[in-house]
Amino acid sequence: MAAVASGLYVGVRCRLCLTLTGQWTGLCGKAPSRFYSGSATLPKIEGANVTGIEEVVIPKKKTWDKVAVLQALASTVNRDSTAAPYAFQDDPYLIPTSSVESRSFLLAKKSGENAAKFIINSHPKYFQKDTAEPHIPCLMPEYFEPQIEGISEAALKERIKLKKVRASVDMFDQLLQAGTTVSLETSNSLLDLLCYYGDQEPSADNHFQQSEKSEELEEAIEENNEKSKKAGHQFGVTWRAKNNAERIFALMPEKNSHSYCTMIRGMVKHRALVQALNLYTELLNNRLHADVYTFNALIEATALSMNEKLEDKWNKILELLKEMAAQKVKPNLQTFNTILKCLRRFYSFGRLPALQTFREMKAIGIEPSLATYHYIIQLFYQHENPSKGSSLIIYDIMNELKGKKFSPKDPDDDMFFQSAMRVCSVLRDLELAYQVHGLLNTGDNWKFIGPDHRRNFYYSKFFSLLCLMEQIDVTLKWYKDLIPSVFFPRSQTLIDLLQALDVANRLEVIPEIWKDSKEYGHGFRDALKEEILMLMARDRHPPELQVAFADCAADIRSTYESQDARQTAPDWPANALNYIAVLFLRGGRIQEAWKMLGLFRKHNKIPGNELLDEFMDSAKASNNPAQAIEIVKLASAFSLPVCEGLAQRVMADFAISQEQKEALRDLTSLTSDSDSDSDSDIGEGK
Amino acid sequence: MALPPRTEKMTVDLDWPSVYPVAAPFKPSAVPLPVRMGYPVKRGVPMAKEGNLELLKIPNFLHLTPVAIKKHCEALKDFCTEWPAALDSDEKCEKHFPIEIDTADYVSAGPSIRNPKARVVTLRVKLSSLNLDDHAKKKLIKLVGERYCKTTDVLTIRTDRCPLKRQNYDYAIYLLTVLYHESWKTEEWEKEKTEADMEEYIWKNSPSEKNILETLLQIKAAEKNLEVNKEELLGTKEVEDYKKCVVSLKNEGDNEETLSQYKESVKKLLKLM
Repeated sequence: MAAVASGLYVGVRCRLCLTLTGQWTGLCGKAPSRFYSGSATLPKIEGANVTGIEEVVIPKKKTWDKVAVLQALASTVNRDSTAAPYAFQDDPYLIPTSSVESRSFLLAKKSGENAAKFIINSHPKYFQKDTAEPHIPCLMPEYFEPQIEGISEAALKERIKLKKVRASVDMFDQLLQAGTTVSLETSNSLLDLLCYYGDQEPSADNHFQQSEKSEELEEAIEENNEKSKKAGHQFGVTWRAKNNAERIFALMPEKNSHSYCTMIRGMVKHRALVQALNLYTELLNNRLHADVYTFNALIEATALSMNEKLEDKWNKILELLKEMAAQKVKPNLQTFNTILKCLRRFYSFGRLPALQTFREMKAIGIEPSLATYHYIIQLFYQHENPSKGSSLIIYDIMNELKGKKFSPKDPDDDMFFQSAMRVCSVLRDLELAYQVHGLLNTGDNWKFIGPDHRRNFYYSKFFSLLCLMEQIDVTLKWYKDLIPSVFFPRSQTLIDLLQALDVANRLEVIPEIWKDSKEYGHGFRDALKEEILMLMARDRHPPELQVAFADCAADIRSTYESQDARQTAPDWPANALNYIAVLFLRGGRIQEAWKMLGLFRKHNKIPGNELLDEFMDSAKASNNPAQAIEIVKLASAFSLPVCEGLAQRVMADFAISQEQKEALRDLTSLTSDSDSDSDSDIGEGK
Repeated sequence: MALPPRTEKMTVDLDWPSVYPVAAPFKPSAVPLPVRMGYPVKRGVPMAKEGNLELLKIPNFLHLTPVAIKKHCEALKDFCTEWPAALDSDEKCEKHFPIEIDTADYVSAGPSIRNPKARVVTLRVKLSSLNLDDHAKKKLIKLVGERYCKTTDVLTIRTDRCPLKRQNYDYAIYLLTVLYHESWKTEEWEKEKTEADMEEYIWKNSPSEKNILETLLQIKAAEKNLEVNKEELLGTKEVEDYKKCVVSLKNEGDNEETLSQYKESVKKLLKLM
């Protein structure tokens, strides 16, 4: 690790390269012979006169950048798998226990920072003292109010810089009324401002609100399984007709290609697609050239426009590309990514063009980014239909990406890992998942995991795949490593883990899993609890394990009870009652088991047949005929068909008095009267 | 609802430098040791680690376990250059690099990275490694005054009058150069050096010499021996001996040895034995 890292930050080295073995032989003469062309060995001298080499060669001083030492020291530590992410306070009371909590903690922290910044920027005169050496500019208050008063071009420039849309438009109008001409450059920058914000004031919270919205839309899309068209991206046309941008554009005496390009890009951003294309023809008529960003916007406009067939759209895009080549504009990464993004809408028609685009990109020499691969994956694996056979392109992609390190180039770069892991999960291929995870851990690629929900999705899918396909020991190791320091598991993930334990016959880990589930806030999920209880109660186990299971069951029972306390209509699932009672019996907690039996009546749930048999066995083991009769009474109260069989068993196995026998016969007669028609069923049931 | 402390999840073979990578306050939930600290109440035990302010107040070195230090050294080796092979003993180091510079850097947590104490530069050099003759050495020692230590023959110059360390270093080197050159020059007024300015006792032309000469002359006059030469008198062995004892007495001070030697030599000289 040190050998790899040092290549980055050692600036000037000594004359010949050091071998980076991290060991140097110090004062014995063999290794340093590289430094000077003297003798190979220098004998150890005890202060006597040196008749050998006298020349003292001072090696050249190494230089490195400011953080090199810190990076070297950081390479000696790894992630602590028991710790919560560093952003949280490391205290048992302050560590979040679920993903909801962790999100709210981080939001609270960020909102505190925003509030502080807001206060500082609203009252800058109280925050002028600067004790930091060297000066830290980002901690000083910013000035958001324009300083220059009066009507002048400089004032206009300042308002544009401060991103005040209304104020700059007013200033522009005032300047025109006063008769002064505004220079082309300033007009262009005003157009830039207007087109970027769509003639609306930028929100005071800056990017915070906007990204929230787009994230929620992303989540909704994810949950709809991407069946719906990407309707979320079409925010609706927000470009008002005849708005300030168009007006000013019309007012400008001279327009250069920059003006046209800005207008086109603004229109496309705010979904005024037809006007954008029209403006483009106007630009061509004026014999001006568009730049590469404009072409990217036009491609997007073509793809987004409705009411056209797919082939027509594709042909139009190809025409645009030809015009781009004719105008000698070089395409960039965004061009190809936009094309691929648009091809996604074309479903299977888009596969061939996508591969063509990709090859073209490679041929030109543009390095694809993670977003490129993400689009390709989306295109090929969009509608999952395993029976038809899935494409194998994911394997080619992963082979190509092996060991590569990426830097952020496209806003959609962080969607790659999510889609790759989704494909792995669908294909049920663990090796591929390991490859994807390995790619995530090379270099700085971990930064591309994306926001919280995407990271949770990725790791949930990864872990579910591990539970499904991997050996149980390795799975448990991953469990300890990932949870909860990297992500909080959903209850479905825990159920997957339990099923994996079941398959591998490692049910003794279940009480620990239950403890962890309570920590992560899943203590009230019925599905999870029932799964746990079912696995514990299904078979008989050695005594110590039964005791552990019984403790676990008691714990689960207490969660049900606390749930009861909150609800007016208590509702325990029948299965849960069954399992808990069985576990108590087997674990040797007879008293509590009998209490559970009482609860059946209270919650109006029917005990299972095996359960009653086990109770009968335990009553026999403790030689308690009264209990046995209790069981029969219970069975008759529920009018269970098995009641008669139980009664017979009681009479056969237990020593009971005459009145008890009488009572039993009454009970059985009651039931058999009511079930007289189903006598044959009873006979079959035995 | 609080989580159980992290220590319960820690296995025995975990990677401790990852838990405490940097200097951090003591976290009882992260340190799996049953540490106790504090003055106990009567018939009690010191307080446990949870919520223990005493453990928080003291500096802890949990981030510098021997394992961690070893790892750090391995990582830092790439930043080091090799020691020159020719310098394998202290004498050689002194011979090639007689001047030693001491500087200190200070690191602290706070809004400012600057510390005024970091500008101090101390320069140490042994006068034996400088090329000085007798006069130059004496003049230099007079010039520097307290900065010279006689027992170790080391001249120490400590500069802090400039605001930057680099400037102080340049100033210290400049001082050394100036001292060296000035001590080799002989000014006009140095000829007026009186006996009070002398560092050590010189026999020639001293009152002691004159006294002994007079005494001997008087002795010789009493013996009616008038043809004696001053130089011859002074050249005799007893006088030489006497001269040595006087010089050592004056230079080294009064101690048993010098005083007894003086006594012997006087006896021999005056033929009292």
